[in-house]
Amino acid sequence: MKIAYSHLSQHIEENPTIAEISDSLFQLGHEHEIDGGVFDMEFTPNRGDCLSLNGLLRDLSVFYTVDFNQEIYMEKLDDLQIDFENLSESICPQISFLKLEIENVPEVYKGSLDNYFKDLSLNKNNFFTDVSNYLSYETGQPTHCYDAIKMGGKLLFHKIETNEEFETLIDKKITLTGKNSVFSLNNNIINLAGVVGGKSTSCSINTKTVIVECAFFQPEEIIGKSVKYDIQSEASHKFERGVDPKCHEKVLRRFINLIGEHANIKEMSIFSYKSKDNPIHQLPVDVQKINQIIGIDITENEYLNYLSKLQFGIEKGVIRVPSFRSDVKTQNDLAEEVARVIGYNNIPKSEISIPKNEKTNHKDIENKLRFFLLDHGFYEVINSPFVSLPAEKAIKVDNPLDSNREYLRINITNSLVENLLFNERRQKDSIKLFEISDVYLSSNSINKKRKLSIIASGRVGENYKDFSKKINKQYLVKLFQEILPNQVFDFKIVSRELLDTKIKNEIVALEVDINCFSSDILSYKEASQSPESFAQYNPISDLPSSFKDISYSIKDYSKTQELQDLLLNYQCDIVKNIFIFDYFKNEKKEEIKIGFRFTFQSKKVTLNSSEIESVYNDIVTKSLKISGISIPGM
Amino acid sequence: MPDHKDITTPELIIDRGSLHPINHMKDTIMSLLVSIGFEIVDGPEIETEEFNFDMLNIKKSHPARQMHDTFYIENKSNLLRTHTSPVQIRGMLEKKPPLAFISGGKVFRKDDDATHLPMFHQVEGIYVDENVSFGQLKDLIYKIIYSLFGEDVKLRFRPSYFPFTEPSAEVDILSTEGKWLEILGCGVVNPIVLENCNIDSDKYSGLAFGLGIERIAMLKHGVSDIREFYKSNLDFLSQFK
Repeated sequence: MKIAYSHLSQHIEENPTIAEISDSLFQLGHEHEIDGGVFDMEFTPNRGDCLSLNGLLRDLSVFYTVDFNQEIYMEKLDDLQIDFENLSESICPQISFLKLEIENVPEVYKGSLDNYFKDLSLNKNNFFTDVSNYLSYETGQPTHCYDAIKMGGKLLFHKIETNEEFETLIDKKITLTGKNSVFSLNNNIINLAGVVGGKSTSCSINTKTVIVECAFFQPEEIIGKSVKYDIQSEASHKFERGVDPKCHEKVLRRFINLIGEHANIKEMSIFSYKSKDNPIHQLPVDVQKINQIIGIDITENEYLNYLSKLQFGIEKGVIRVPSFRSDVKTQNDLAEEVARVIGYNNIPKSEISIPKNEKTNHKDIENKLRFFLLDHGFYEVINSPFVSLPAEKAIKVDNPLDSNREYLRINITNSLVENLLFNERRQKDSIKLFEISDVYLSSNSINKKRKLSIIASGRVGENYKDFSKKINKQYLVKLFQEILPNQVFDFKIVSRELLDTKIKNEIVALEVDINCFSSDILSYKEASQSPESFAQYNPISDLPSSFKDISYSIKDYSKTQELQDLLLNYQCDIVKNIFIFDYFKNEKKEEIKIGFRFTFQSKKVTLNSSEIESVYNDIVTKSLKISGISIPGM
Repeated sequence: MPDHKDITTPELIIDRGSLHPINHMKDTIMSLLVSIGFEIVDGPEIETEEFNFDMLNIKKSHPARQMHDTFYIENKSNLLRTHTSPVQIRGMLEKKPPLAFISGGKVFRKDDDATHLPMFHQVEGIYVDENVSFGQLKDLIYKIIYSLFGEDVKLRFRPSYFPFTEPSAEVDILSTEGKWLEILGCGVVNPIVLENCNIDSDKYSGLAFGLGIERIAMLKHGVSDIREFYKSNLDFLSQFK
């Protein structure tokens, strides 16, 4: 909601700067941005009372001397004769109608009405609607203006549950579905209550006689309607958060005053309907409780002074909550008021001391498994549980984001297969992944299983010992036998037949309940550790990579380390990775053969062969300067 | 391959894997909280409206319950939890104060863009005892923030609104670029929630807090797009060893 600084400051005696008001608003919990001389406010949903100039001024009055200085019409009003029936009193317990007729429609606005449109750069609509909009800005109470000439007949407020066509005053045709609270005139819907009025009874620039509706609707009846019908409605935003049920007469008298500032009023009359009295909410004065909740030590006088500035009534040990503060119901709510006034950042810390009991970590086995897999080159992944295809026992989402995410997965393996293919497409030839997650199945009831799933394919590792070995079922069986010799696991080969890939490497997968693992694993001594610091992410390239291998023959053994130091530390923007993929020491021939793999990838462009060749040649040239080494075939 | 130490033999680089950075962050925060005295509790990701909303004083009319915010399943009989708070409700129903629980895990909301995903992770905690105050909550939050971002970091508390806490606050830290960044939400447990869990709110009070793991991981690792965490890209994951 946008509120002009000048509109606030003209009511504040101290004349604070925009920065001072901004600081006060932040302390009170009202987030905002400042654009020129306008606060763009974002209120928490419990503070519907702040959705207006006056609402904000009420809160600011705790820091400043505020003079509202808004005149209202004080004379007695005639009774309006209107054929109105309220069939849903529980939804709309209070409603008033004001009928006004003016001599001429004004062409120019003045005073606060004029400032409202100018300072907030708003478009005008028609006189009565413009006054209504301003009044909502000033007081927080939305009103709706009907052109009185179009309002002949019986007016009904009721809840319907039939599909009805309705054309709004913003020329949008909607079909009302489900339950809706509406106003009907002679059985035709003329207003979706609290959200938007209808075109058939709307005011125009020529309207001289208006019926102004001022109502209280239960917030839960309004919530969700503007989203459902895709209608931007400031009124519904306010009704959803709760308006002051006791403000109607004051608001309508202010309406008269604003009209009277711009036109001669020929006739006016008012009708008020109230199905029940709103009791004043009261709470006992209990400063000790307030001090305990916040952790402070203020006196009762200080406490009551804060509340009275926020317009709470104080009387004989009782706090009377103002009717516009429907959010205040408990001592904790009052504590929050005090905390806001003091300032959350000014409340002192109190040492927290939680008794430490013997606590067991029931995830010990799970954590051991994670580090065991890390030790063997597996990477932990996390996948979304949403999948597109139905499966037996799969749980269906009633309101999925889209048709690709309509069900909850019944296994983790399928997600890991997708992850594997994704990495294969990125030229990865050694892929080992695992995920531990809950999986939910539906039968008669919902069954939760905590599972470990692993998948592996390609080379066993990127070092000279494992490079030439391919991952297969035996590899994984042997891996798990080392730590759990007494358990048998059902490793599966995932067929590539239906997968979108030309790679032939065997895919081995395992999915097993965590509960199946024996506690023997707890004796495993992991080599991997949790990182002690948080690595800074280096953005990755989505461009294709390629590799080149260089194999060396070394006759002078002492040069082996020099060659490694040179190549493994080779720096170049397009060299992404270097490792030794082959090593063999032939004692008979007194020769070491060592192979290095260089992976090339740019972050900016797809590399061409000459760019790679250039770096390759540099590597070769530099390495061959070391005496006693050669590149066979070169 | 030679078994004995041979200075000509290259060092065998064992290719270790890595924890997922989100799980690592979650574990780090939970370890810190355990060291302070909290006990880890777990609960289901599929929840009832009662535990996810009603018990937490989230009214039937609250927007969070709408179909555009919450994933419902099997004809609205259940839902995917929108926060880990229901775990604490279950904990409070099981045990008597004093109690201090934390729960961490996946939560689900109907969002999908560069900064929000339909699945993300939270760590939430609750401490209920006699005379627990907002001042103690502040002390705890300082401990958490200082542990994650160092004791030089500037932080501020802002009034906020959560149905399950009163007073409620959000906590920001000042970035090196001079911007305030929201880090967590917290507050004094609403006595209605304590009463819902059969805890005498005249005798006991509580504090509660919740952190979004992805947000903190993004800040700590310098990741700008939340979706990177869930592509399972080895080039990404291998950076967090």
